[in-house]
Amino acid sequence: MPADGHPYLFLALFAGAAVVFCLSLLGLARLWAMLVSPAKPGPTKNAPYECSLASQGDAWVQFRSAYYLYAIIFLVFDVETVFLLPFAVAFTHLSVGAFVAMMVFLLLLVEGLVWAWRKGALAWH
Amino acid sequence: MIDEGLRSELSKQGVFTTTVGELYNWGRKNSIWPLNFGLACCAIEMIAASMARFDISRFGSEVFRPSPRQADLMIVAGTVTKKMAPQVVRLYNQMPEPKYVIAMGACAISGGPFKQGYNVLKGIDRYLPVDVHIPGCPPRPEALLHALITLQEKIAGQKLTGPERAPHLQEEAPSEYPIPDYGAYDLDPPKNPDVWQPPVLARKD
Amino acid sequence: METLDVIKTRAEAAVPGAQLALAPNGAVPAEASLVVDSAHAAAVARFLRDDPQLQLDYCSNVTGVDWLEASIKEKIKTRKLVDGVEKEVEETVEHKRPGHLEAVYHLYSMKLKHGPLVLRQRTANRVDQVRVASLTPVWRSAEFQEREAYDLFGIVFDGHPDLRRILMWDEFQDHPMRKDYVEPDDYEYEPTAHDDVLDKARRHYPVEEHP
Repeated sequence: MPADGHPYLFLALFAGAAVVFCLSLLGLARLWAMLVSPAKPGPTKNAPYECSLASQGDAWVQFRSAYYLYAIIFLVFDVETVFLLPFAVAFTHLSVGAFVAMMVFLLLLVEGLVWAWRKGALAWH
Repeated sequence: MIDEGLRSELSKQGVFTTTVGELYNWGRKNSIWPLNFGLACCAIEMIAASMARFDISRFGSEVFRPSPRQADLMIVAGTVTKKMAPQVVRLYNQMPEPKYVIAMGACAISGGPFKQGYNVLKGIDRYLPVDVHIPGCPPRPEALLHALITLQEKIAGQKLTGPERAPHLQEEAPSEYPIPDYGAYDLDPPKNPDVWQPPVLARKD
Repeated sequence: METLDVIKTRAEAAVPGAQLALAPNGAVPAEASLVVDSAHAAAVARFLRDDPQLQLDYCSNVTGVDWLEASIKEKIKTRKLVDGVEKEVEETVEHKRPGHLEAVYHLYSMKLKHGPLVLRQRTANRVDQVRVASLTPVWRSAEFQEREAYDLFGIVFDGHPDLRRILMWDEFQDHPMRKDYVEPDDYEYEPTAHDDVLDKARRHYPVEEHP
């Protein structure tokens, strides 16, 4: 690592080398395919794969709107986990203001959970 | 080009020489990915071949792909009914080049015990170009491994240039074969004459 | 389980108008069966399922049988006057049995652990009157097997919820398990010991003539 460089310069160089390595391999494969292996597309080959039976109907299926409750619950727990982990790591160094802000944030999430609970999203249908 | 004598002399000295074609075929033959599908009891033997006792991964073929887009080898393992035959042909058509077919077991190569029935295709080679046939009802996993090794030898012998180059390198060689339709009494057409002709028998009467 | 005679009498009493008959079986197991007319088949089936002494709650299998038109020879012993002396003479009587299709149901009772009772329905002929009543509303397990009998024998089950072909493809025209079914002639090559198959295959051999 150069002594005068930015401490993350090494990482940037490493990432760049990795990308160039991958791209050069892909490019070689592409070149090889262009040179020796002719592409042979066809109607069956390009058809959307569906267990080898001919596709029927539309792939755009409608879901019940009641599923948005599951999305909300997932969001509540997901966001909570994402913020709780750094919160726990930095807990001892936090000021009172930061602690109160975090508690307000948690309260908002818990409020969402309570709301979904009362909607019956946690009951098994 | 180096001649064989010089090559063996060099390899004795610890220098390994190869050609692009050999390297290419060596890579291909040791990474044949079969399509993950079975039609009848032969599939059980195929599954056994992929398990620890017979261990098909010794030959680089343990990666059974559930999608034809990623498969190189179609192991037709079992009875191909006439209702199933168009689906098998369509799966073959959807596989990318280069692709190979192993017909495993009596049913896949000829219809087997169901040959004189009304609903079984009398061999998948009526619609698809089969590279290796395995007899047996069902064949042992060792037989499947032997077929795989035979296929590997075939791949290793394929040329990359010249008029006899491998089919996937030829512009005019077909990649798709016609899918038979369901007819009123039989599949339509009952066979693909470009792929399969009945054997000519020399006999007196 | 009660004898078939008792079941027949009780079923006829329970379902007014039902025409039941006993079909004897000449084979070694001698398992006689109950023949029911299609018009009352569903009612009789419900009786067999719900009757407390029978409780045949499980239909293990539905099959089809194809009976071609046949002449049946029976030997009947009669007493006749031969040359003024009365003797016992054996006579052969021939009568025609019209062709028909048959749907056969094997019924068991899981609760009372008895069975099987063999129930048959017969069609009027093999050609155009091939309808019998579906017993799928009574025994749900009959659904796929009735579809199979429809597919392979061409028996049409009235009242079946989803009567489609199940083994052959939808475009298929014939019924392969019928005795007069002609299979597709695609024996190009057949090294076999069966002479009839060999004859069929021989017509397709591309033969290389010997010089």
